Amino acid sequence: MFETNLEKDPEKGTLGLVLLGPIFGMLYIFFLPIIGIMTLLLAIPEYASAKKAPIIENAEICMGCHSMKGVDKVFKNKEKVSVFVNADDFKDTVHGFLSCDSCHTKISLETHPGTANVFASRSAFALDAAKSCRMCHSDEQLKAKPHHAAMTNRPNAPPCTECHGSHTVKRASVWKPTLAGNQYCLTCHSKNFSKTERNGDKLSLHIDPSLLSSSVHNKHACNDCHTEYSRASHPVKSFGSNREHSIAISEACGKCHADKKKAVSESIHHTMISEGNLKAPVCADCHGFHTVGPKATYETLSGVPCKKCHDEIFKVYSKSVHGLAKANGEHKAPICSSCHFAHDVTVANLTDKIKNACLGCHKGVEAVHEKWLPNSGLHLSVVACAACHSPNSGRGISLRLYDQNTGKPFTEEQIMKLLGTGYQGLSEKMSAHGEGINSEDLWSIVSQLNKKGAEAKVTFLGRMQVSDGSESHMLALKKNAVRECESCHTSGSNFFKTVTVAIVKADGRLKEYKVQPEVLGSMMSLASLKQFYVLGSTRLKILDWIGIMMVFGGASLPIVHLTLRILTSPIREAKRLNKMRRGDKR
Amino acid sequence: MKKIYLNALPVRIWHWVNAASFLVLIVTGLQIRYREILGLMKFRDAVDTHNFFGFVLIGNFFLWLAYYIFTGKIKIYIPPLSLKKFVTGCIRQAKYYGYGIFLGEENPHHSTPENKFNPMQQIAYLAIMVVLIPLQLGTGLLLWDIKAFSGWINMLGGVKIMDTIHVFIFLFLTSFLFVHVYLATLGHTAMAHIKSMITGYEEIEEHAH
Repeated sequence: MFETNLEKDPEKGTLGLVLLGPIFGMLYIFFLPIIGIMTLLLAIPEYASAKKAPIIENAEICMGCHSMKGVDKVFKNKEKVSVFVNADDFKDTVHGFLSCDSCHTKISLETHPGTANVFASRSAFALDAAKSCRMCHSDEQLKAKPHHAAMTNRPNAPPCTECHGSHTVKRASVWKPTLAGNQYCLTCHSKNFSKTERNGDKLSLHIDPSLLSSSVHNKHACNDCHTEYSRASHPVKSFGSNREHSIAISEACGKCHADKKKAVSESIHHTMISEGNLKAPVCADCHGFHTVGPKATYETLSGVPCKKCHDEIFKVYSKSVHGLAKANGEHKAPICSSCHFAHDVTVANLTDKIKNACLGCHKGVEAVHEKWLPNSGLHLSVVACAACHSPNSGRGISLRLYDQNTGKPFTEEQIMKLLGTGYQGLSEKMSAHGEGINSEDLWSIVSQLNKKGAEAKVTFLGRMQVSDGSESHMLALKKNAVRECESCHTSGSNFFKTVTVAIVKADGRLKEYKVQPEVLGSMMSLASLKQFYVLGSTRLKILDWIGIMMVFGGASLPIVHLTLRILTSPIREAKRLNKMRRGDKR
Repeated sequence: MKKIYLNALPVRIWHWVNAASFLVLIVTGLQIRYREILGLMKFRDAVDTHNFFGFVLIGNFFLWLAYYIFTGKIKIYIPPLSLKKFVTGCIRQAKYYGYGIFLGEENPHHSTPENKFNPMQQIAYLAIMVVLIPLQLGTGLLLWDIKAFSGWINMLGGVKIMDTIHVFIFLFLTSFLFVHVYLATLGHTAMAHIKSMITGYEEIEEHAH
């Protein structure tokens, strides 16, 4: 209508403009702020959506499925993973501007979802997906933190998502500090990963949190033991081998267990370690690293750590009266540490420690022996308990050099000093003959050790013991113990056929050299083994022959004299008759 | 024939206790030392018996010592202090045993309670009673409890030395026993000396002088 009116009446059109112009102008001025506000209001969402950008052009397609909960993806190994992606959470991450296929580059809408390209496992999928991270995050960026680089550049490195999450990706520095206590460390160390020592040993750095929490140390912070580590510092350490690592890490135990550390320092195990024998056990070998259990754990047949190295002995022990009692649930029955002690483990047969360990449980046993065993005190001091109470073991005589003045064993070092020789020289002297040390050798050793001017008065003392250390654990029931005196006190007894000279090292270990058993009954033993004599079994053979000659001589004198008297009886008879005749005449 | 009271009761008791102990100690000693040859008794029984009679012998020795010292009869064991007299006496006695006895000569020594032994017996028995028996009893005592007497044993040279001395004297005394018993039969009758050690009285022939 307006167009028609304007064309027909131009003046009327001008009038319309004059009339409508102000009206429209007023309307424009009035609505302008409203339009502005409206425009602005409309522009803000546009601005916002431009800033946050729609997930991607295809996000809606992806989210069509991936916004649904309860949908799982199944891997070849039957592992499942939910395909649900919380778009809102994703949008809030630093990766919110990325599209789905920025990371999931291999997914093709034409084949997805499908059974093609199904990963073997969830971790395989995670590892593959994590490769996408490296498209943006360069090696240089990762190497900025040495430990991070060390972690991520190893062949078995965990996928990035292990620490940073997948669709809710966060910087570790954002979320890790919020973790309490050991969880900070366990975020990484609960994962399966390892490090390689200089010799190529793989050291697992995985800590099983469940084992850690069941350990007696579960109240400790990680860096109570790993003192060099903190939230601020994580040095990358390198050891020559896993063994060196175990030895080094065990040093931490002494921080709290000073008494045990001192006891261990006196043990044969510690001596071996300090001599460079790394096979000897340290704290962690017996107690474990993160699984340290209560004391009782190590006093059970299944938990005793000694058997890891002393397996043969443990098998023998298991069949002994003690092992069988333990297996039958008798808690008081002794196990390794009951006799050998847990920390200050010493050489079994050197001191009275083992004997005292026996007597510690078998109280009053000395009095029991006294009732039936003559010279029981002497027997108990020179015969090892096991020599009688392990009836099926092989026994032998161990000859040891003692300083008669002090009553202490004469050590290898002292012997070498007096003989003026070294280890090699001593060994040669002790093994001069293939069949073992003979009586001349033994006398030579004793006389050299006691040469003029020597401070010590050195003598051999003999001791009967089980020859094979493991057999001394074959302890049997009391009724089966050796009780017959004749077992030992007989010449030719099997117990005297294995003879050794045991040289005591300064640390208490024994070095044994074979001795010819004839030495025990040789004439020279009168001088070299003057302190060792066993009735019947170590008698001097030469004295037997002297005895035969003396008794034969003593018996033959009357026989010869009597024979002569019989032979000369006619002379006396004739003399008697003459005398009688003379008497008659008179 | 006349009878003289040669052996007083304490001497006879001492002698036969000694004799019995000697025999038991010899047998048990042999059993202890040669168990693999002899099987007369268990080792343990042999040791116990040996120890028991060892103490009997120790007691008996002191009985002998006390008797002879307190009665002053110990002098019968003392050989003539004059060496010449002693040597002459020994030669005279040796000549008798080695020669004269075969010819029926008279024993040059006539036992009396005051002069019981001839010079050879005197020196032999003095050595036995003053040296060998104390040594045998002493070493036996030390060997009886090696642990308790370890100080003494070490001082005297060690247990092996002690045992060797003990065994050596044992062998000597055993061999001497044959001679002793044989000589005991050389009285005017074979049983004369032995009877006198039982009854105390020795029958001696009276000689016309």
